[in-house]
Amino acid sequence: MTAYFIRRTLLIIPTFIGITLMVFAITRFVPGGPIERMIAEAQRMQVEGGGGRASAGAGVQRQPLSDEQIEFLRQYYGFDKPLLNSYAAWLGKVIRGDLGISTRYQDPVWDMIRSRIPISLYFGLISMVLTYGVCIPLGIVKAIRHKTAFDNVSSIIVFVGYAIPGWVIGIYLLVWLAGWWDVFPLGNLVSENFEELSLIDKILDLAWHSVLPVIAYMIGAFASMTFLMKNTLMDNLAADYVRTAIAKGLPFRRAVFGHALRNSLIPIATSFGHNISIILTGSFLIEKVFNIDGMGLLGYESVLERDYPVVLGVLVIASLLFLIGNILSDVCVAAVDPRVQFD
Amino acid sequence: MLGNAIYPLLATSWGRTTKERLGVKDFIEFPTRHDANHRTSKVGHPEPTQRQLDRENKNPMRIRFNPLTIKKFRRFRSIRRGYVSLLVLVFMILLSLGAELLVNSRALVVHYQGQFYWPTYGNPIPGTVFGQDYQHETNYRELARQFEAEGGRNWVLMPPVPYNPYENDFRDNTLPPSPPSTRDRHFCGTDASGRDVLARLVYGFRLAIFFSLALLLATFMTGISLGSSMGYFGGPFDLIFQRLIEIWSSVPNLYVIIIIASVVIPNFWILLFILWAFGWMGMTWTMRTVTYKERARDYVLAARALGASHSRIIFRHILPNTVSVIVSYVPFQVAGGIVALAALDFLGFGLPPPEPSWGELLQQGWANLSAWWLSGSVVAAMVLTLVLVTFIGEAVREALDPKMHTTYE
Repeated sequence: MTAYFIRRTLLIIPTFIGITLMVFAITRFVPGGPIERMIAEAQRMQVEGGGGRASAGAGVQRQPLSDEQIEFLRQYYGFDKPLLNSYAAWLGKVIRGDLGISTRYQDPVWDMIRSRIPISLYFGLISMVLTYGVCIPLGIVKAIRHKTAFDNVSSIIVFVGYAIPGWVIGIYLLVWLAGWWDVFPLGNLVSENFEELSLIDKILDLAWHSVLPVIAYMIGAFASMTFLMKNTLMDNLAADYVRTAIAKGLPFRRAVFGHALRNSLIPIATSFGHNISIILTGSFLIEKVFNIDGMGLLGYESVLERDYPVVLGVLVIASLLFLIGNILSDVCVAAVDPRVQFD
Repeated sequence: MLGNAIYPLLATSWGRTTKERLGVKDFIEFPTRHDANHRTSKVGHPEPTQRQLDRENKNPMRIRFNPLTIKKFRRFRSIRRGYVSLLVLVFMILLSLGAELLVNSRALVVHYQGQFYWPTYGNPIPGTVFGQDYQHETNYRELARQFEAEGGRNWVLMPPVPYNPYENDFRDNTLPPSPPSTRDRHFCGTDASGRDVLARLVYGFRLAIFFSLALLLATFMTGISLGSSMGYFGGPFDLIFQRLIEIWSSVPNLYVIIIIASVVIPNFWILLFILWAFGWMGMTWTMRTVTYKERARDYVLAARALGASHSRIIFRHILPNTVSVIVSYVPFQVAGGIVALAALDFLGFGLPPPEPSWGELLQQGWANLSAWWLSGSVVAAMVLTLVLVTFIGEAVREALDPKMHTTYE
């Protein structure tokens, strides 16, 4: 078992290098990188500086930066060195905790990411607590009352939630409840006058803004989690040890909660580790739909703006979290189920 | 990845109880896949006559489907919800294949000066043919109005939705998007650039479903060939690919796909390739596990002892026994493909702009909150398609792997 976890931990290294090297290589060969952006910006400055006169002769625009300047920029961003050399230099910096500087905002990438983490964390934690808090009891009730009206009706609702991804439902909720009926705000995390509100109003404002995104976050995990709970509990209820317990005269309630439920929670633990990456990186789609300034939106916008240090920074954090989450899942499984043997 | 590989989670039976559907005699009556596959001629039985052989050759279905498969199919059909969903979905796909006849700016039939014209397929017919004063393609909606005003014997029959998904229908006194109107035959309204929403939905459906099926084919081919050889041969080959899959599955998929798609301007095939490159692992892993289990069974050893080659064992002996696993993954993969394409289109990294796509419509609905018909119609279409696919998937899974649950009174 220990050997297994050591191997898994060591596998993080090649995986991490593989992912980042691939994306690093891609970002190197793209038109529209930082240097092109600077040339374009300098061109715009020239045009604006020249006033209306220059725009007329825009067809013969000269290269705004001299060759030396471009050469300096290439050196600055490490484009003058071969791919592997500059990758090694980048990796060395990352290991020392330096993710570089955003080419767009000139801020350190780590600071940008760090300022977004609390927002993603807020939504991640709330939706996780709510998902577990609702799904486990719901799954238990559905398993015990299998084939009753309650089970069938809730199945249909959960089923639709399973078929439709959360962000699509998010768009729909946003259009109807925020755009049409004005019940909820149009995205963002807080109102514009947030600073002026009293503490209670602040909390209410935050909660009011959080309802729709949290629903969207929950839907995906909600359906699968409820069914997982229901099915495993039903499998366990059908197992011989529960039948024996009931045959010996144990009350049904105690057979469920004392015997079957404990074993049924094992599969739920399997997916627990993945929460870490969902909590911290959020979902690009949901953060974009609700315009929430979390890590997902940061990553998405940096791709749009070709701000590669930020792209790579988000990738580094996201893939590390994902890899750690995978291992954490295995640890959870091993911790709750002594029968599990990893080889 | 983006889709859902969590199909075993839906392992509940919501339809009739499995006991009802699965009488005890079913277990006895039908031989296993393997017994059925080898026809043996016993002493005392006459050799099949030439006529019997001819009949079998003319009717290959009899040989290909063994009784167990037929039984499974019957069980699937008995789950009404899944079966009806399958019929509806197949009907929708067939309709979308003939979308040009239903949703098109070209007329179905034009009757002009005693002659019939069928403009739907083929080269565009210039306006001069119908006595118009322009060389470019005839505007059939105008033509229909003109013929009607003339009141002569010429007439034009338009499709139910007389717009194609690319044309902008600008009206004089309104700005797009405009709400649904049966008078203009914009049954779902128009989008932000005046294109008919229903037309884009229909053609977008066709694109999405075939994209998804192509993706399915690609991932399954990889998964089946690579996965079963991994499970069958084992050893270092298996080990190398195991590690590779382990590494490759840890890539934050959507993000890397977006990064790549932002670099290359993707078209249908490039997008397919990218999604395939990050989506082949799930099926491969499943096939590996299944083959690994099957390989240890006696019939494989028996076939080997009889001198069957490796490829024969994999394709003729092991693969038929894993079909149920493969089939039960199909609907969930299809749903995953549709959602993945819509997500990429929504983010603006999917198919290039003029292509009709659901994700792009969602994006418009998101950007134009007051135009409720945009998001309303595309979400309705998505809900319909995905729920149908999921119903099918759940029924297939149940038909292939019925579960019995003990319940307590």
